[in-house]
Amino acid sequence: MSFWDYVSSRREQLWIETWMHASAVFQCMVIATLIGVVVAIATYRSALASRIAIGTTATVLTIPSFALLGLLIPMLGLGVAPTVVALVLYALLPIVRNAIVGLAGVDPQLVDAARGIGMNRVMILLRIELPLAWPALLTGIRVSTQMIMGIAAIAAYVSGPGLGNEIFTGLARLGSANAINAAWAGTLGVVVLALLFDAAYALLGRLTVPRGIRG
Amino acid sequence: MADVTGATIRLEELTKHFPGQKIAAVDRVTLEIPAGQLVVFVGPSGSGKTTTMKMINRLIEPTSGLISIDDRDVTHLDPVKLRRKIGYAIQNSGLFPHMTVGQNIALVPRMLGWSRSRVSTRVDELLETVGLDSVEFRNRYPRQLSGGQQQRVGVARALAGDPPVLLMDEPFGAVDPITRGHLQDELIRIQHELHKTIVFVTHDFDEAVKLGDKIVVLREQSHIAQYDTPEAILTNPADEFVAGFVGAGAALKRLTLSRVRDVEVKPFATAGMRDDIATIRRAAREYGADEVLLLDERRRPTRWLRREEVRRGGAGLAVTAHEVGDTVTRDATLRDALDAILTEGGGKVAVTGPRGEYIGVVSIETLMGSIQEMLEADREAAREHLDELEAQREVQRVEEQERAGHEDGAHPAESDQR
Amino acid sequence: MSGGPVRPVGSAVDAETRAARPPALPSRFGWTDFVVMPVFLGLVLLVLWQWISHQDLDPIERVTLAWPNVRRRIVEHIQLTALSTVLVLIIAIPLGILLTRRQARRFAPFALALANVGQATPAIGLLVLLTLWLGVGVKVAIIGAVAYAVLPVLSNTIAGLEDVDRQLVEAARGIGMSMPGVLFKVEFPLAVPLVLAGVRNALVLNVGTATLATFVNAGGLGDIIQDGILLQRTVVLIVGSVLTVVLALTVDWLASLAEQGLRPRGLRNGG
Repeated sequence: MSFWDYVSSRREQLWIETWMHASAVFQCMVIATLIGVVVAIATYRSALASRIAIGTTATVLTIPSFALLGLLIPMLGLGVAPTVVALVLYALLPIVRNAIVGLAGVDPQLVDAARGIGMNRVMILLRIELPLAWPALLTGIRVSTQMIMGIAAIAAYVSGPGLGNEIFTGLARLGSANAINAAWAGTLGVVVLALLFDAAYALLGRLTVPRGIRG
Repeated sequence: MADVTGATIRLEELTKHFPGQKIAAVDRVTLEIPAGQLVVFVGPSGSGKTTTMKMINRLIEPTSGLISIDDRDVTHLDPVKLRRKIGYAIQNSGLFPHMTVGQNIALVPRMLGWSRSRVSTRVDELLETVGLDSVEFRNRYPRQLSGGQQQRVGVARALAGDPPVLLMDEPFGAVDPITRGHLQDELIRIQHELHKTIVFVTHDFDEAVKLGDKIVVLREQSHIAQYDTPEAILTNPADEFVAGFVGAGAALKRLTLSRVRDVEVKPFATAGMRDDIATIRRAAREYGADEVLLLDERRRPTRWLRREEVRRGGAGLAVTAHEVGDTVTRDATLRDALDAILTEGGGKVAVTGPRGEYIGVVSIETLMGSIQEMLEADREAAREHLDELEAQREVQRVEEQERAGHEDGAHPAESDQR
Repeated sequence: MSGGPVRPVGSAVDAETRAARPPALPSRFGWTDFVVMPVFLGLVLLVLWQWISHQDLDPIERVTLAWPNVRRRIVEHIQLTALSTVLVLIIAIPLGILLTRRQARRFAPFALALANVGQATPAIGLLVLLTLWLGVGVKVAIIGAVAYAVLPVLSNTIAGLEDVDRQLVEAARGIGMSMPGVLFKVEFPLAVPLVLAGVRNALVLNVGTATLATFVNAGGLGDIIQDGILLQRTVVLIVGSVLTVVLALTVDWLASLAEQGLRPRGLRNGG
C-alpha cells in the first residue's frame, strides 16, 4: 500500500488525530500563555524574582519529557491529564522569559512619560507595557508552540491524544506493511501542523503588532 | 493680565530625602512661580533640579514640605488625577511608539473624559499650534517623524488637556542645535499665545536665558543660588557659583535678550533685478552708499552689488553679484543678527518681513552702539539694585540696633551671641 | 521533540524571529548559582534512596532496580549523550563556519530554513522512521540524536558568527590579518558565547533523545521508565524518572560551568 493509499484509507482517523493534536497544543498554549504572562507581570519589576522565575522554568525545560511524564503518571494517571500538565510546563519558559524581557525592556522614559501624563499602574501595564512587550511575547509563544508540538507526540505513549499514536503504531507494528506509512503519517502530520501554527502566528503578528513598532 | 491661563505654583520648604542616601537630594526649597510665566530651573547635573520639578506633579513624592497650585495644596490630592491637569514633556519626546501621533495627543483628553469629537478637534488644533499639518501628521507613527517633529508632538501632548501648568524636563536636550533653536522660538511663540505657567528644566544656561521670564539657578541639594530675570543674572550674578555658571561671554549672551526690533533698522540703497546700471547708480548716490541690494519681483533680497560692480557696470550683474546668504526677521535675537552679519561679510544684514520681503538693514555699527547702550543700562540698573539693597540693609541694621538697645538689659546673652 | 530543551530565545533562528529577539536580561552569576543545583540534586538522591529503602519491593521491582542494572542504564545514557554530542559538534561547528564564509554564505538561509523545519520534527518520529529504515540498536539511536541536534547547534553557530560586528572584521583585515587569522583570532572568539550555548543546547537535547533510545532497544534510563509503565510498577517508574531528571540537570549544570569557564575574558560578564 502506498503512503497516499494509506492516508486516504485512514482519512477519518488521521483527521481526528490531527485535530486532537492541534487542539491539545492550542489549549495548552492558551493556559501556558495566561500563566506565563501572570508570572511575568508578578516578577518583571524585581531582578531577583525575574531570575527565579526564569531559572525555575528553565530547569523544567531541561528535564527530558519522557521522565517528566513518568513523574506525572503516579500523580495523575495515564491520558490527558499528565499530557496537559507536561505540555504547559514545557511551554512556560519561552513565554515567561520573553514576557519578562519584553516588559523589563520597555524604555523607562516611556513609563515616566505615561505616569507624568496621569496614567495609573493598571493603565500603564495594559496600554503601554504589554503592547510594547507583545512582539517579544509572541516570539516566545511561537517557540513554545513548536516545542510542545513534538513533545505532544511523545505523550501518546502515556495514552495522550494526537498524532503520536500513529508514530507508536508504526513502532509497535515493526515489520508489518503499514508500519512505515503510519510513522510517516504521524511525523509529517506534526511537521505540517507546526508550520501551519507558525504561519498563523506570523499572520497574528502582522495583524496585532502596531506599525509603529514593527521590526 | 486677563489672558493669563496659568496658575501660581508655590513650593514651601520642599524636601526630598531618598532612602539610603546621607543627604537630602532637595533641601528645603521655597519658591514662588508666578502665574503665566516661564521659569527655568538651571543647574549642573546632580543639583536636584529634575527632582524638584518632578515633585510638582508628584512623580517623586516629597519627604516634607508643601506644594500649592493656585493656593491649593496638591500634596494630598490623588497623584494620578493631579498629573492629568499638569502638562508633562520630556527629553526624547517620550511618545509611545505603538500609538499614532493623534493617539498620543488624544491620551490625556480621553482620560479626562472628553467626547470623541471634541478630542478629535483638539488634536487638529494642537498640531496646528505646534506647526505641524494635521492631515499629514496625525496618523503617522512617532518613528516616521524627525527628532524635531517628535519633540513638537511631545509639546502638543503636554498641552492636550489644556493644563494651566506645564512641566518640561530638558525637552530639547536631544535634538541638534539648529532644530533646538527653532523649537525654542516656537515655544516662545506658543507661550505668547497661551500664557501657561511653565517650569522648564535645563542644564544649558543659554537656553535658560533665551526662554526664561525668570531663571532659578540651583546648586547642589537644589539650594537656590539666584532667582531673578535673565538680565539681572547676566549682569549681576549673586555669587561666584552663579558667575561660574553664567560662564564666559556674559556680554555676548546679553545679545540673546534683545531682538532686532529693539534696534534701529535703516533703509538702504535697493534696486530691482532688471534695473539698468544708471538706475542702480542713482539709487546708490541717493543713500550715499557704494553698495546696492538687489530685490526680486516680490521684493525679497537676492544679491549684493559691491562697490566695484556698481562702478564697473556691465551686463549680467544680476547673475554674477554676491548672493544674499542670510537674512533676519525683526524677531531674531541680536546674537542671530551678529552671526548673520559676520557670515554675510559686508558689515550688514538685510531685515525681512513675514513673507521674506525687504524692510531695511542692520549694520555692525548699529549693533555695536546698541550693545554699548545695553551694557551701560544694565550696569546702571545693577548699581541701583545694589544701592537699594545697601539702603535696605542699612535700615535693617539701624532697626536692629535700636531693638537691641531696648532689649539689652533683658537679654544680654542674646546680643553677645550675635 | 524529546526533552524539548530548546533555549527559546537564542535558538529561534528564522530571520523574523531573530530580528524580534529581545535583549538578554542582565544577570550576574554568583557562586550560589553553581552551588545550589548540586546541593539540590544531592538532596533529591538522598530522599529517593531513603524512600526506596523503606519500600517493600516485589521480585520484579527488585530485579529492575538492582544496582548493576541501574548502573548499566546510567552508563548507557551517558555514553549515548556524550557520543552524540561529540558528533554533533564535529559536524555542526565546521559546517557553521563554512556556511558563513563568503563563498558559501548563500547556502546559509537554506540551512536555517531546514533547521526551522527540523525544530518542528518530533524526535520520536525521527527515531521510529530511522528504526524502520535501519533496524533497532545503539547506532540508530545515535544517528537519530545527531540528526536531531545538529540543526539547532548549526543555526546557533551561524547566528553567532553573523552577529560578530562587521566593523571588527574589517578592522582585523585592515591591520593585515589573513582570512584564517580573522576567523580564529577575531570572529570565532567573539562567537564563542553563542557557540557554547549551542553546545549546552546539544547536550540537553541529547540527554532527552537518549531517554527515547529505549524505544529502539538502545538502552539508557528510558528503559527503566518504560519498564515502570509497562509493568505498572510505580516505584520503578519513579526511580527511572527521578534518575533521568537528576542526570539531565547534572549535565546541564556541568555545561553551564563550562559555558562560564570557556568564555573569553573580555566577554565574561555572566549571563
